[in-house]
Amino acid sequence: MAEVLIKHLVKRFGKVEAVRDVSLRVADGEFLVLLGPSGCGKSTILRVVAGLEDADAGEIVIGERLVNFVDPVKRNVAMVFQNYALYPHMTVAKNIAFPLQIAKKPKAEIEAAVRRAAGILGLDDLLERLPGQLSGGQRQRVALARAIVREPHAFLMDEPLSNLDAQLRIQTRLELIQLHAQLGITTMYVTHDQVEAMTMGHRIAVMNHGVLQQIGTPQDVYRRPANVFVATFLGAPPMNMIDGALESVGGGWRFRGVDADVPLSPEVLSPPELRHEIEARGEVKLGLRPEHIRVGPPGHDGGIPGRVEFIEPVGSDIYLTVEAGGTTVQVRTDPDSPLRPGDNVTLMFDPWRVHVFGADGHNLRRDAPAVGSTLVQAAAAG
Amino acid sequence: MAVESARLGPASGDERHADYAQAARRRRTLDLGKGIAAYTVLTLFAVIAVGPFLYLLSPSLRHSYDLFTFPPQWLPKSLYLGNFGAVLHQTSYVRWGINTLVFATSVTLLTLAIDTLAGYAFARMHFPGRGILFGLVVATLMIPTAAIVAPLYIIVSHLPSWTHAGVNTYPGMILPMVCSPLGVFMMRQFMSTLPEGLVEAARLDGASELQIFRKVVLPLMKPAVVVLGIFTFMMQWVNFLWPLAITTTDSMKTLTVGIASLQGQFVTNWGLISAAAVMTMGPIIVVFLIFQRWFVQASMAGALKQ
Repeated sequence: MAEVLIKHLVKRFGKVEAVRDVSLRVADGEFLVLLGPSGCGKSTILRVVAGLEDADAGEIVIGERLVNFVDPVKRNVAMVFQNYALYPHMTVAKNIAFPLQIAKKPKAEIEAAVRRAAGILGLDDLLERLPGQLSGGQRQRVALARAIVREPHAFLMDEPLSNLDAQLRIQTRLELIQLHAQLGITTMYVTHDQVEAMTMGHRIAVMNHGVLQQIGTPQDVYRRPANVFVATFLGAPPMNMIDGALESVGGGWRFRGVDADVPLSPEVLSPPELRHEIEARGEVKLGLRPEHIRVGPPGHDGGIPGRVEFIEPVGSDIYLTVEAGGTTVQVRTDPDSPLRPGDNVTLMFDPWRVHVFGADGHNLRRDAPAVGSTLVQAAAAG
Repeated sequence: MAVESARLGPASGDERHADYAQAARRRRTLDLGKGIAAYTVLTLFAVIAVGPFLYLLSPSLRHSYDLFTFPPQWLPKSLYLGNFGAVLHQTSYVRWGINTLVFATSVTLLTLAIDTLAGYAFARMHFPGRGILFGLVVATLMIPTAAIVAPLYIIVSHLPSWTHAGVNTYPGMILPMVCSPLGVFMMRQFMSTLPEGLVEAARLDGASELQIFRKVVLPLMKPAVVVLGIFTFMMQWVNFLWPLAITTTDSMKTLTVGIASLQGQFVTNWGLISAAAVMTMGPIIVVFLIFQRWFVQASMAGALKQ
C-alpha cells in the first residue's frame, strides 16, 4: 500500500492536451474516484500512473518513489480494464497466476496465492474454466483476482463496471466496496457514472477538458460545487442554471433575471468582500438543485413564475420540466403531485440553498472551495 | 392468390383452401427451380476446378503409346501403374522431393517466425517511422516475382562463401523467399484486431515484449498463423521460377523444376510427366485436408471476437 502523488501532470497526444497541469494526492488506503465525461482525461491520468503512457511534464510519485521513468511492472500497481483484458486462451487459474509466473515465483507459492485470491472473490469453482465460459460479472471478478494476487501498492481501475448490465453493476459495486474495505489498498477508480463515484469514493476528483475541476468528498462536491461544470455534471437531474444579474439592495444581494427577482441570503454571498468582484464580472447564473425547489400555486410571492411542460414519473419521484426564468427548470417533486402539463406554478426555494456562479463559471458562494485550492493542497502535500 | 381473395372480401373455406394449396405448389416449383439453377452453376465450377486434375490423372494411368489414339480416350481401358514406378526409378524424383520438402518447410517456418514478429511490431509497438516502414513493406506487394528473379540471382551468386548461400545451395534457395510482405500484412491486420488491453495487461503483469508475444499474442493468433503457414507451404511447394533460376544441377532441383526438365527436346513421355505431377500434388492435398478446419476458424475469428 502506498500514497500516490501526481504533481503538475501534463499529457499531450499530438496537439491535443489531454491532461493539463493536474495535481492530486491519493492517500494511503484511500479510494479516489476520477469522474468526468468521455474524453476528459481521466483514463489518461490512470494510464500515466500505470506507466502505459509517458507524462509530458509533471511527476508521478508512488510510495515516495518518483516513477516517471520506471517500467510499469516495477511501479507495482495493478490495473483492471473496462473490457477485463483476460487472456482468452488461459483458464481462470492461469489468468490469475500469470503475473506470478512471469515473476518466476515458486510453484507452491503461486498455487497458494491463486487459491487465496480466488477465495476472496468467490472464484473457487471456476478456476478451470476459460474466460469465454464466464459471465460478465465473473470475468470482472477474475480480472480483480489477477490484480490482487500481486499484492500491489495501488489498484488502478478503468471503468471496470461499465460493461455489466444494470443489476450486476449494483451488485459488483457493493463487492468492490467490500473488497476495498477488506484489503485497504490505495485505489484510483475512473468512471463517468456519478452514482458509482458518489457511492464508492472516499473522495471524488471531477475532471473536464483535461483540467481538474474539483476534488473533495462526495458530499462536498455535490453540496459545494466549485463551478458550473461540477454543479451540472453531478446530480440527476442536474443543477438548474438561471441567467441573470446581481443587484445590491439595502446591504444585501438580490438576483434579477427574466421574471425572477429573489433575495439572496447572507449565507450565500457576503456583500462587502465580494461586491467589487461581482460587479466587475457582471452576469451571473443562479444554481438550484431540482430537489431544493418547491412548487407553489401561481401568483405566490417570492418565487419564480413558470409553466409545467412535461411530467416524468420515475416511481419514487416525479420530474417536472418547467419553463421559468427564461429557461427550462427541472424540479423533483412528490409522486402524488396532481400537476399536469400546462399548469401555471410558482417555483420557490430557500434563499440559503442557492448557488451563484460568476461569468467565468466559478461558484461565488461563501462556502464554495477557493479557486485552485486543489493545486495548493497537492503542492503542500508534495 | 390468397392475398387477393382476402382483399376482395370473404371467401368460402374451400376456396381459401384451394388458394393456399396453389400458392404452396407454386412456392415448391420456384424452390425446385432455384435448386436446379444453383446446382447447375456449382457443377460448372466443379468441372472447371476438377477437370484439369482429372485430365492429368488420366494419362498418368495409361501407357504412353495409348495417349495419342483417335478418338481420344478419357477413361483408360486398363489401369497402368508403370508410370509411377518409372518416375521413382528412372528420374531423381525422390531427391527432388526431399529438396522440395526442405525448401518449402524451411521457407514456411522462417516466414512464420519473421512475419509474425514483424506483424506484432507493426501492430503493437510504437517506434519512429513505423508507418513509413509498413507502407514500404506493403508497397513491395506490387513487385512481381519475375521482375526480381534476375537481381536476386545476381545477389545470391555473389554472396561471400562464409554465408554458405549461393547457386545450388539450400540457403541460397531458401533465404530470398523468406518473409512475404503479404504475410507481414496479414499478421499485422490480425494482430490489430486483438484488444489492446490484453497486451497492456500483460505488460503491467510484468511480461517482456517477447513474453507478451509468445504467451499472449501468439496463442491467440494460432488460426492466422496456421493459415499463413499453409499458404506459404503450398506456394513454395509449387514454386517454379526461383528454384529454376537458382538450381543448375539435377541433385538440387525441386519437384516443379525436375518435372519440367523431363520434357525432352524431341520426345516427351507425357505419361511419366503426368504421373510425376500427380505424385507432387498428393502431399499438398493432404496438408490442406488436415488443416482446412483452421481456414474456417481464421475466417470466423474476426466475427467472434468481442
